[in-house]
Amino acid sequence: MLPEFDLVMPENLQQALENLGQRNPGVVPVAGGTNLTVDMRSRRHTPATLVNIEHIQELTGILQEDDRIEIGSCVTIAEILKSPIIAAVAPALIEAARGFANPLIRNRATIGGNLADASPAADTAPSLLVHNAQVELWSKKNRRILPLDEFFVGVRKTVLQPDEIIKSVHVPKTNRPSASSFYKLGLRKADAISVASVAVYLEKKNGACGQVRIAMGSVAPKPLRAYAAEELLTGKHLSLKLIEEAAKLAAEASSPISDIRGSAEYRRRMVFVLTRRLLTHLAEMMELKDW
Amino acid sequence: MNIRFKLNGKETELQVKQDESLLEALRQAGAYSVKHGCETGECGACSVLLDGKLVPTCILLAPQADGHEIETVEGLSEVNTIHPIQKAFTENGAIQCGYCTPAMILATKALLNKEKYPTLEDAREALSSTICRCTGYVKPVEAILRAAAMLRGEEVAPIGGGGIPLELAFGLTGESDLGRDIPDVKSGGGGGTSVSVRPTVKVAPWVSPEAHTDVVGRPEIKVDAVKLVKGKPAFTDDINLPGMLYAAMLTSPHAHARIRNIDVSKARAFPGVHAVLTYKDVPRVMYASGGQSWPNPKPWDQVSLDSKVRYVGDRVAVLAAETPEIAREALKLIEVDYEVLPAVLDPREAGKPGAPVIHDEPDAIGIPDAQRNLVNTIDAAVGDVEKTLAECDYVFERTYYTPKQQQVHIEPHVCITYWDEDERLVVRTSTQVPFHVRRMLSPLIGLPVKRIRVIKPRIGGGFGGKQEMLIEDLAAHLTLATNRPVRFEYTREQEFTSARSRHPMYITFKAGVMKDGVLRALDMKVISDTGAFGQHSMTVASVSGLRGLSTYRCEALRFHAEIYYTNKTPAGAFRGYGAPQGMFGLESIVDEIAHELGFDPLEFRRKNAVRVGDPIPISTALGEGGAIEQVVLSCGLEECFDKAAAAIQWERRYDPKWHVDPERPHIRRGLGVATCMHGTAIPGLDMGGASVKMNDDGSFNVLVGATDLGTGSDTVIAQIVAETLGCALEDVIIYSSDTDMTPFDVGAYASSTTFISGGSAKKAAEEVRRQIMERAALMLKTTTEGMYLRNRHVYTADGRAVSLQDVALHSLHTEDQRQIMATASHMSNYAPPPFGAQFVEVEVDMETGMVRVPRMVMAVDCGTAINPVTASGQIEGGQLQALGMAISESVMYDQQGKVLTTRIGEYRIFEADEAPDIMAILVPTYEPSGPYGAKAVAEIPMDGVGPAVANAVFDATGVRVRELPILPEKVWKGLKELK
Ligand SMILES: Cc1cc2nc3c(=O)[nH]c(=O)nc-3n(C[C@H](O)[C@H](O)[C@H](O)COP(=O)(O)OP(=O)(O)OC[C@H]3O[C@@H](n4cnc5c(N)ncnc54)[C@H](O)[C@@H]3O)c2cc1C
Ligand code: FES
Ligand code: FES
Repeated sequence: MLPEFDLVMPENLQQALENLGQRNPGVVPVAGGTNLTVDMRSRRHTPATLVNIEHIQELTGILQEDDRIEIGSCVTIAEILKSPIIAAVAPALIEAARGFANPLIRNRATIGGNLADASPAADTAPSLLVHNAQVELWSKKNRRILPLDEFFVGVRKTVLQPDEIIKSVHVPKTNRPSASSFYKLGLRKADAISVASVAVYLEKKNGACGQVRIAMGSVAPKPLRAYAAEELLTGKHLSLKLIEEAAKLAAEASSPISDIRGSAEYRRRMVFVLTRRLLTHLAEMMELKDW
Repeated sequence: MNIRFKLNGKETELQVKQDESLLEALRQAGAYSVKHGCETGECGACSVLLDGKLVPTCILLAPQADGHEIETVEGLSEVNTIHPIQKAFTENGAIQCGYCTPAMILATKALLNKEKYPTLEDAREALSSTICRCTGYVKPVEAILRAAAMLRGEEVAPIGGGGIPLELAFGLTGESDLGRDIPDVKSGGGGGTSVSVRPTVKVAPWVSPEAHTDVVGRPEIKVDAVKLVKGKPAFTDDINLPGMLYAAMLTSPHAHARIRNIDVSKARAFPGVHAVLTYKDVPRVMYASGGQSWPNPKPWDQVSLDSKVRYVGDRVAVLAAETPEIAREALKLIEVDYEVLPAVLDPREAGKPGAPVIHDEPDAIGIPDAQRNLVNTIDAAVGDVEKTLAECDYVFERTYYTPKQQQVHIEPHVCITYWDEDERLVVRTSTQVPFHVRRMLSPLIGLPVKRIRVIKPRIGGGFGGKQEMLIEDLAAHLTLATNRPVRFEYTREQEFTSARSRHPMYITFKAGVMKDGVLRALDMKVISDTGAFGQHSMTVASVSGLRGLSTYRCEALRFHAEIYYTNKTPAGAFRGYGAPQGMFGLESIVDEIAHELGFDPLEFRRKNAVRVGDPIPISTALGEGGAIEQVVLSCGLEECFDKAAAAIQWERRYDPKWHVDPERPHIRRGLGVATCMHGTAIPGLDMGGASVKMNDDGSFNVLVGATDLGTGSDTVIAQIVAETLGCALEDVIIYSSDTDMTPFDVGAYASSTTFISGGSAKKAAEEVRRQIMERAALMLKTTTEGMYLRNRHVYTADGRAVSLQDVALHSLHTEDQRQIMATASHMSNYAPPPFGAQFVEVEVDMETGMVRVPRMVMAVDCGTAINPVTASGQIEGGQLQALGMAISESVMYDQQGKVLTTRIGEYRIFEADEAPDIMAILVPTYEPSGPYGAKAVAEIPMDGVGPAVANAVFDATGVRVRELPILPEKVWKGLKELK
């Protein structure tokens, strides 16, 4: 049983934005509904009006641009998993999609909904963060593009205005040799809320580590980058010792809570373990290992 | 608003509300195959194909389907036809309760639409969208591969009944070749992999005094399989009665509180509300909700509605309204003023001075020490434990803990109550115990038993959770108050907060053992946490003792149990019923002893285990139906050990190289074993009745009280009858569990159905057989001497024959007319133990502590497997449930007593793609006391996985985890301590 609400089925983006632009905080977009309807059932969320955006043409599809790809906000996790374009640009995102729930949910869950929901455990976030993704936000009056890192504010909080929607997610391309990977530690394979997750992106430059980015999920109020660890590694040759130090910095940057999935101590340690594991793995893959 | 879409190819227009889910809309439109088990997108039971894609309808809005195409299983076949996927599922035994089956079939269709040659991984991935609590996914995965082969036009080997020579079907010829593999039919080619499309059940020769059987021992297709694969409206909720009201229950937000005042006037005045009931409105009658024989074991510490609440989720008020939405809204209008009381959540604290008294009501019946929250103590002993322990070379003492595991049948508790035209109350309910419900309900609602009829339709799993009169009284009170049909269903959250669970226990074993590895004494102490009420607590704890102290020969045995109330959701019956707790302790300490004394854990077990002819001395001191001494009459344990050890390649345990993986340096491998021994039915107590009646065409109606909760008992009973009467399974029409129509049966619990209810069906069939022979003798002018029934005929000693149809026609219409029929009942003072050997392989991540189980093998001696497919299905599914308790499942609470795991996802049930390879090996013996040699099989698979995993983790890492579930953090901590 869902609480009562009105449902609007706009035919295009303009109509959708008009509806949202009524500046009524009770009006919210719904895409796959895998978060929203569940929240509504439990009365955690009782919007007065839903604006169905899942079929809006401008929000679907994956676009190839010269310097980036643009993933429409209503692209489903199932579509991401199948996309050769994404596989080429952001392999970590494919890995995130593979461990995301099950085929049933993947057929409905969208990337925009995952980010807008802003769960600390949102599975697409760490991978997108390490790929320096940006979100393109549209409202009736305004359009803006923000780095994803600035998009999240706290537990299920973002900078999104009530009249705004995520139009698409931009993932930059690079022609430098690079690789990325994602690892989710859950108590079950496709745990919706994991113990900890980490994504790492690594570039190779002159036989050493070029740009590197590390992000983690489920271990802080929002998905976050481990800047200190990244800094430590940039431009260096990757020894096991260095990797461990970086992993330690990443763990220090996390601020997990204790809950039914694990204690804060354990989760912080897992950030260390996963970061070390991913860095080692990528260093081997990129032939960067200095050990 | 109106929406238009194509439903199974037909243009459909539906009037829906904007805020209606597609699930609700489809069921309103009659698509009852679309089930529901969570409404939060987690169980997958509500899946349909939307434009060919599998989607969860519970979290789709009905208007989102506008203009699309929807397929449900109703669209796959017509009357008398069956789709190849449906056929594969029936033939492969992929259906147990069948509640998840429509969704599984659609998931299969979505996969096979795009992949002609699916791999095993593809099949598992496809099924990962649907949680199945019954099958362990083994047979459904195989069914997908079989369906794929069928759709490709390949020949697949026959499995089911229907005139297939036995040898071909399963190699059940009784000749040598012990436990050989059933020949795999390889499918594949064209890019596919080679995988088995047959059940991976292994069957050793069937040694029985019955020289030959035609139906018993064969992998017959379940008698209810076809309706379940077709998604027919067979379940409790699949009807819509005119004027039906919807019930909703207000539950306590506090772990312990007194209701100072409750004001329901606003809720009553709310338009569409027909009744609101609180403790002020219903009679105060003390009872125990556990579905057990009369008189229900004490304490009787519950009333339908009370002025005190004892756990978060306890009943406060219940109401009935025109729609579920109104019911829910009206709940919010009930104003309750609580006096919050201190709560106690730990059973070890509950008995201490100063702990809050949970049952301070003066009228509770049979609580030995309510002031100390002590529900009961049990003491039993055989021999002199102190003296024997003092004589032993070594004494070990360890304490273990088993968690609050929840049954999580995918179909929630649901019932519909209504007055029939004779003003008798009909209770259509998803229960394992229809006859107990009728008797227990009567005093609570003030109607005599004769004015109550309880009907159990198909039920979507129970696992003990429905061996309870959990919600029927509230629905009945509402029907009495409104004179309208009332439907009451728990939400998934209520299943976790307000249904039942396994009793958590602290189990301490003290074991005395000699240098040569001979066990001499076991001293077992248990502290059991029954939650806020005491139902089942006494009997569950006594089974813990019985099972904990039966498996190994010992001179001296002692058992002491203390059961405490806590302010948590009451525990109850759950498959295994105390045995998994006791066996976790026993099989862990035995492993610890073997390790410390330097014995091979398997050899140590073999050396000490009971064997044929041994008494089970503790049975003289413990037992629900009175203490009745038990003796082992059949035991295939040795062979179970041999076969399962070979299948898991136990010798790898001694190869240090095998324990590490050079490719994955953080992984350690390990193997673990556990002995399993269970009981069959409650001796001296359980009883079932059956009637068999012959029809004009030589077919038979069988009426049994037995309750098929998805396990296949209707099928097994029908097989027993068919075997006895020399007819085919399809000639037997079975109808079960309807208190007006069928004889009594205690219900589906204690692994009793095949043994007890099957026993009664066999007796009734034998009497019918006698009548048939007499009639044949009359017709053929001979005597019954040397006559036998086979192939739908009666044969005389001199080789003449008359068909069953002719016998029936003669008896009903021709001469000395009479109805050939008989009724019989069966009970047993003997409870033959089935045996099993459980092996588990683990991989432990030494950095994260994560335990992965790639493979489990269990060999079971269940006597004769009346149906090897349903029997192996029990063993497969049971093992996966047990694995849940071993590594992930536990209902968790916060410090205020609030349940934290209220969703299936948080509670963590295995999905198909993370389930191990699960193998079931049947090791037949012949149990003289059982019908056609059968013993129990349903519960024993719960017994060994927990300890076998703990033992394997120890083998892999050196870390001994004594508390289930073995969450990664526990292993990680253990590893830290080792260092
Ligand atoms: C069984 C189950 C398993 C799950 N497993 C996982 C998992 O493994 N990993 C994981 O990360 N998540 C998981 N989730 C959570 C959820 O599926 C994802 O977060 C999903 O991506 C949400 O997308 P959606 O389209 O369904 O969002 P919706 O529910 O439609 O919307 C979610 C929120 O985002 C807003 N919104 C949606 N689209 C936009 C947009 N374009 N612009 C602005 N706001 C928008 C909505 O208003 C709403 O507040 C699971 C959920 C379920 C039910
Ligand atoms: S997934 Fe829809 S009811 Fe469970
Ligand atoms: S058969 Fe799958 S839930 Fe029962």
